[in-house]
Amino acid sequence: MRTWKDRMRHSTRGLGFVALVLIVAAIFGALEPRFLSYVSLNGIARHMAANGLAALGLTFVVIVRKFDLSIAGVAAFCAMSMGALIAAGWPLWSVILAGLALGAVIGGISGIAISRFGLPDIVTTIAVGSIGTGLAFIYTGGRSIFQNFFTSGITDLNDAKLMGLGVSMWLLVAIYALAWFVLSRTRTGLAFYATGENPMAAHFSGIATRRFVALAYVLCAMCTVLAVLLILAESGTAETNKGANLMMPAYAGVFLGAAIMGGTSVIASFGGILLITMLLDGFALMGLPYYYSDGVVSLILLIGVLAFSDGARGTLEALRFLFWPQKPTAKGSDA
Amino acid sequence: MGAPVLIASDVCKRFGPVQALRNVDFRLEPGEVHALLGINGAGKSTFIKILSGALQKDSGTIRIGGEDVHFRAPEDAIRAGIATVQQHPELVPDMSGLDNIFLGRETASRSLMGRIDREALEARADALLARFAVPIDLSQEVGQMSAVEREAVAILQAIAVDGIRVLILDEPTSTLTDVEREDLFALMNQLRAQGIAIIYITHQLEEVFAIADSFSVFRGGACVARMSVDEARSSGVSLADLMLGEAVGDIFPKKADPDARGDVFLEVRDLSLTHGFENVSFTAHRGEILGLFGLVGSGCDELAKSIFGVDPPDQGEIRIHGKPVSLRKPREALDAGIFLVPGDRRTEGLALSRHSLFNVPMANLRRAAGGRWGLKSRQLRSDIQRLTDQVALHPPHLNTPASGFSGGNQQKIVLAKGLYSEADIYIFVEPTVGVDIGARAKIYGLMRDLSERAAVIVVSSDCDEVHGVADRTIALHKGRHVEPESGVFSRDDLLMAGIMGKGSL
Amino acid sequence: MTMTSTVKFAQSRPRGRKIARLTTDLWLVVAVIVVTLGIASQRPQLLDAVNIATVLKSFSIMVVMVLGLTWVIASGKIDVSFMQVAALSNMICAYALAQGWSWGGAIVVALLAGALVGLINGWLVASMRLPALIVTISTAGICASIAAALGKGTVIRIADPGPLEPLLQPALGGAVPMIVVPVLLIAAVAWFVQERLSFGRYIYALGQNEAAVRAVGVPVVKLTVILFVLSGVSSALAGILLASSLSSGQPMIGGPFLINGLTVVLLGGMMVRVGKPNILGTLTATLFIGVLFSGATLLGLPDFQRQIIQGGLLLTGLIVATIAASHHGARTAGQ
Repeated sequence: MRTWKDRMRHSTRGLGFVALVLIVAAIFGALEPRFLSYVSLNGIARHMAANGLAALGLTFVVIVRKFDLSIAGVAAFCAMSMGALIAAGWPLWSVILAGLALGAVIGGISGIAISRFGLPDIVTTIAVGSIGTGLAFIYTGGRSIFQNFFTSGITDLNDAKLMGLGVSMWLLVAIYALAWFVLSRTRTGLAFYATGENPMAAHFSGIATRRFVALAYVLCAMCTVLAVLLILAESGTAETNKGANLMMPAYAGVFLGAAIMGGTSVIASFGGILLITMLLDGFALMGLPYYYSDGVVSLILLIGVLAFSDGARGTLEALRFLFWPQKPTAKGSDA
Repeated sequence: MGAPVLIASDVCKRFGPVQALRNVDFRLEPGEVHALLGINGAGKSTFIKILSGALQKDSGTIRIGGEDVHFRAPEDAIRAGIATVQQHPELVPDMSGLDNIFLGRETASRSLMGRIDREALEARADALLARFAVPIDLSQEVGQMSAVEREAVAILQAIAVDGIRVLILDEPTSTLTDVEREDLFALMNQLRAQGIAIIYITHQLEEVFAIADSFSVFRGGACVARMSVDEARSSGVSLADLMLGEAVGDIFPKKADPDARGDVFLEVRDLSLTHGFENVSFTAHRGEILGLFGLVGSGCDELAKSIFGVDPPDQGEIRIHGKPVSLRKPREALDAGIFLVPGDRRTEGLALSRHSLFNVPMANLRRAAGGRWGLKSRQLRSDIQRLTDQVALHPPHLNTPASGFSGGNQQKIVLAKGLYSEADIYIFVEPTVGVDIGARAKIYGLMRDLSERAAVIVVSSDCDEVHGVADRTIALHKGRHVEPESGVFSRDDLLMAGIMGKGSL
Repeated sequence: MTMTSTVKFAQSRPRGRKIARLTTDLWLVVAVIVVTLGIASQRPQLLDAVNIATVLKSFSIMVVMVLGLTWVIASGKIDVSFMQVAALSNMICAYALAQGWSWGGAIVVALLAGALVGLINGWLVASMRLPALIVTISTAGICASIAAALGKGTVIRIADPGPLEPLLQPALGGAVPMIVVPVLLIAAVAWFVQERLSFGRYIYALGQNEAAVRAVGVPVVKLTVILFVLSGVSSALAGILLASSLSSGQPMIGGPFLINGLTVVLLGGMMVRVGKPNILGTLTATLFIGVLFSGATLLGLPDFQRQIIQGGLLLTGLIVATIAASHHGARTAGQ
């Protein structure tokens, strides 16, 4: 719910975001013309789909002021599980549903442990995630799964196009639109935000805060499943390290976006993940070795959060005051 | 009367376009207890922060013991002999009272690597207690202490430093009961006897006459009055008038006509909660404000929260509009038509960083969504605008976060939230803690208006407040309710009932 | 007022409470003994000199790795960069040696790198007030990238294991590596600081109520920065030891250490000072985990099963700690 003043501030920041995206695109385009090619932009769209879905799931968790570090583990376990089902001949739709259900269960375990039993979020999700990473090995002891992948149709998720845009991109946009509507236009969204802002006050207002925290974790896990599904679609195999690279960009996208937009939201995460994906793909295209990607994303996240932090704002205020001091209007002698 | 220990002249402070302090003069004698009065925003907090070194003045002079001082940080003030106890003093709960008192000062050098000598600390504590006989077990963990014990620890922490001449207490009694306040006054008298001057900020006007030697009134950034309590008493000046600058009538609205009392909206019978209260019964009618007076710890807060479903009762019956209900959580209470204005609005009532458009609809999302799922923004905006006008929210901006309002206005936002929930039964807990007198009067007026179509229950440890605003009162003493022997409690009888349980059935 | 008469400090605790205290203080030690005997009964090789040496070597390195982390968590913050700092210092050693530097120089640079990372972490968290998780996740990513970059994505071999290597050999009684002695000494000093100096007291006070510590004038920013620097230096030291031990620089080192590291700190936190990480607890818990995993290897459990057990242990530890904390709280409330 926003007033017109909020909307103004929001759109200024939004415009700033768009400007940032254009600037980054321009810089990369100048340094490496291939960046703006159809192939490259397509690749960005595809990578953004997977990263974006993971970031969306994380957004829910961050809105209720929690953290989820189990994304990699959930991704690994669900990837292998879905791979095993595909190899076993299950039709694609039921594989997807099974994967989502599995994710929901894992998310539910984390969510209930944290919301109802009061376990600390960071370490609990680390534990759950590591169990998940270990469990990913139970199907094949670590070997990759690829039987039936092409015949199942999963690769269509990656290759097929609808009106020129990849299916994966459509999926991303659809789910983001749904999430945006829920979070900013419905009572569920307000309840989510209220739970994050002040759980006690929300409880006194009759909001089932524990349910929403648990739900956030369930949604995060389910979004992670969708993200890893797209990764499976792109590579055509299920391996135990799939999804290991989802967590860092997800955090970067959510927090960078939140820093620039002034608050966590679906739009902020979308913008954040767009920037991050562009940067990652751009650097890769420029020949930056793969092992730099984590570092680059981390650095950008750090700079972004720092630049828009209260501390930075305070320093900026102080600097401004130094250069444009207020005119003295108080009576009385100088102390 | 020797030389003043503290003299401030012409102190000014401005924040951007706002002149928070203008040419404030102030004087304090050794051993004087001096009260600072003023509504929120009048400048007394700013002045205190400057004295304690948390803020720096723009101009003017401050002299301690005859010498000019310039404070750049709180450390400077402490070194100059001014100690401050915040309104909600921060202590470390798992550490003992002893450890808290000397936190940060365990060694003379105050280095991070100082060796902690238990015996030396205990000796220092003994010496401190020898000077100020406070009957408190300092080996107990602070987290397990009562409110007044914690306040005592905070004060001891402040004066444990050598050479403290001035102690600033910021609303020390807002969480204390009448009895505990007396204990605090006893401690203050000891401090005063040792020559320590005390600056005492309070919203409780009657305390001024109880403990202070003199007082100053702040209004609009200036110090508009300074007189001794004797002068004030003999001249019969109205403190409220001084603070508000205009003739203030009785802050309590007229009582309701007993015949106009409506149906029983809420009936509570033999309600009990272990470690809370026992066999409490009362009825609340439409058209009437019911007052519940009880000291902190008497079970009042627990009772209110229990009825609201936060900590449901173990035994007993609650009937709403005659029908028995079982309320296991706040959601059920809200659905049944009860709204609680909680005792701690900052932690229990509001999302401070969000504006009114977020906070007000929170307890009735169903209405905000028009009974369905999506929020009806335009309708919501106009509804909330109307409500904020009704409660006279100041400033009337819907997009200012709650943290940007004074305590009284924050309470009004909570009230608006309650009005939006369209409840039949309103329970107010400690409704005017930390609220200045102007807002207080307004809130009492709103309660009166509210009672016309709803049942209003006011639960408070402020006897004057309960007796003043309610049409009918009962008291809670050690978890049991106390009813008047004959019809209605007088103010003093109410006090006695709450403190001693006299007049019980 | 419900107060007792004037102060009495020399309170003799009733006997019953003293025994209860001892149990909560030392149950982990008992657990270590029980587990050791249990596994040894199945696999007596556990107590072979060679095996003990291996366990104690890992124990030493792990303790060094998380020594600083113990205090960071006790003070209410978190640091998930410790493994990547170790990896970085590990690679710096290897790289410097490969460039022809002496071990002495390499060690100094590696330690400085750890201190620098700690400084950055500490400043961002304490001075700029950024959330510790995000900061340390980011610095972890940056360190990981730099570490990998030093080796251009692969391992760097070290020819001369250096002066520290003999320390890692089982010299005492053929079973105990010399390194255990300095490690225990460092731990003893740390324990002293924690218990007897104001530094230690402020750490725990910080974890409880930062505002209170700030209010009395303790330099909170300085203190927090010191804690993060200590964490960085101790992780760097562990990385150096690893370089000696493995005779190579491994950029990918660190994965399993995250869970282990957090597990030992949190498990150890349930001992002595219930719910608060402490040095003695960390030591005991590290030994516990070390014995457990040596046993797991001897029993032939594959890696991923070990990882599942790790996660399960952490989760169990969290549940126990949470239950214990709520009991303590309940006892406090119902006075």
